[in-house]
Amino acid sequence: MPIAFEKVNYIYAPKTPFQYEALKCIDLAIELNKITAIIGPTGSGKSTLVQHLNALLVPTDGTVYILDRELSSNQKNKDLKSLRQRVGLVFQFPEYQLFEETILKDVMFGPLNFKMTEEDARQKSMTALTMVGLDESFYERSPLDISGGQKRRVAIAGILAINPDVLVLDEPTAGLDPQGAKSMMELFVELNRKYKKTILIVTHDMDHVLNYCDNVVVMKKGEVITHQQVNDFFFKGDTVKEIEMALPQRLRVVESLREKGFKLDSKISNLKDLANAIKKEISHE
Amino acid sequence: MNNIALGRYLPLDSIVHKMDPRYKLVAMLVLMVAIFFPSGYIGYAIIGSFVLFSLLLAKLNIKMILRAMKPMLFMLVFLTFVNTLVLRTGYVLIDLFGFKVYSDAIFQTLYITIRLLLMIMVTTILTASTKPLDLTLAIEDLFSPLKRFGFPAHEIAMMISIALRFIPTLIDETNRIMKAQASRGVDLKEGTFKEKIMAILSLIVPLFVSSFQRAEELADAMEARGYIPSAKRTRYKQLKHTMKDWVMMFCVICVLGSVIWISL
Repeated sequence: MPIAFEKVNYIYAPKTPFQYEALKCIDLAIELNKITAIIGPTGSGKSTLVQHLNALLVPTDGTVYILDRELSSNQKNKDLKSLRQRVGLVFQFPEYQLFEETILKDVMFGPLNFKMTEEDARQKSMTALTMVGLDESFYERSPLDISGGQKRRVAIAGILAINPDVLVLDEPTAGLDPQGAKSMMELFVELNRKYKKTILIVTHDMDHVLNYCDNVVVMKKGEVITHQQVNDFFFKGDTVKEIEMALPQRLRVVESLREKGFKLDSKISNLKDLANAIKKEISHE
Repeated sequence: MNNIALGRYLPLDSIVHKMDPRYKLVAMLVLMVAIFFPSGYIGYAIIGSFVLFSLLLAKLNIKMILRAMKPMLFMLVFLTFVNTLVLRTGYVLIDLFGFKVYSDAIFQTLYITIRLLLMIMVTTILTASTKPLDLTLAIEDLFSPLKRFGFPAHEIAMMISIALRFIPTLIDETNRIMKAQASRGVDLKEGTFKEKIMAILSLIVPLFVSSFQRAEELADAMEARGYIPSAKRTRYKQLKHTMKDWVMMFCVICVLGSVIWISL
């Protein structure tokens, strides 16, 4: 099993009055070469979960299997650096981690830490910056002087330049404008399709889940409630209604059209089918 | 980072927690003075038993105090080392191939250890049983007579409470940035000297940037709500002293008195 959680518990500040059980007996297997969304209300343990993937946190109980590594609390977890090179983690609001004098140097910081040569690191960093849509004119500017959205791109490029096999992103689009968010999500899809990267995205945006992801993991109060394919999740069964999160816009449109008397199948998954169905309804009248 | 036991408020329900912070603060100062009197082991026994008693009253754990002592361990080892080299009075305790360790060296070290332990206990009781904000209220109150001479009691209390308020935030922030940089291959434990400098830099620069940003935002938010430091304001929380505060004060003064009497 390439990425799997087995009976993983995680407790913050154990044996103190501040003890907090963030993950409760998580059993989860994540498919490689897919885009998996992790959703759930705030405080449900999403961020704690993803920090296990590159061993920033080690489970209090249980085992995490990732690529060819095995992480648990009752063994010495050595050489985490090589794992971190293969699993890139982009934190929430990563723009706060920028510190170098120039953008190019900041992006090169990661690759150089992982012992790439200067030339190689520069090449990879330029590629990564191009991917996130920042051209040469940015290379020599200070990462602290650009806009918030651009900072976000630089920070993500900083992880992309390391060229990890698994890319984990904690709310990468939070606070971005819709256009910026869209191009960011499209970049992740491209990374997945073209470079066969495994991608995990923590998100609150159900539209992104529906439009860009393959699988979805729903968390609540430190537990995994369900783990399904995105299409099954939205169009089969009722789990999507039980989790009390806002539906994607497309589904809300269908929902309100049905309320107004349109005879539409609530399980229409394809935009084209939906358009056709609406057209049919209108021409009937 | 999460194991900082020293100076952390513990929300327990005890009689010490309910005491007036002003009295607790003054009591701590009085006890500190008592600890610094050269009253010998008898004096320390008196102070020690009083402090232990308050520790129990506050429902605090002795283990916690010992944890708080941990950072001092290095200092104590160093102190023992220097003392055995320097102090050459008293009788010879150990004779190691002509290198003599004198009794005074050991006793002196022990004495300082107890003094440190007592100081840490006293301050821990205060900070563990008093919310930081109550503490600053107490400071403001105690300094308010000086306002007449232009002493900025409120401003200082406000600064202290803002500083205290942001300690946990800064610790969180530090943890977050450390993790983010660890994901970029920063290793604070291993690596050459140059790499370590770089690692620390990658932590400090973002921390400074976000602190300045936060400070500016806070200032804006305060100004937007019309904060004027010199304005007269009322308080939601009124400090009240009761019988138990007077009893505690009386005990503390008794302790100080007996310590002074012993050391005369």
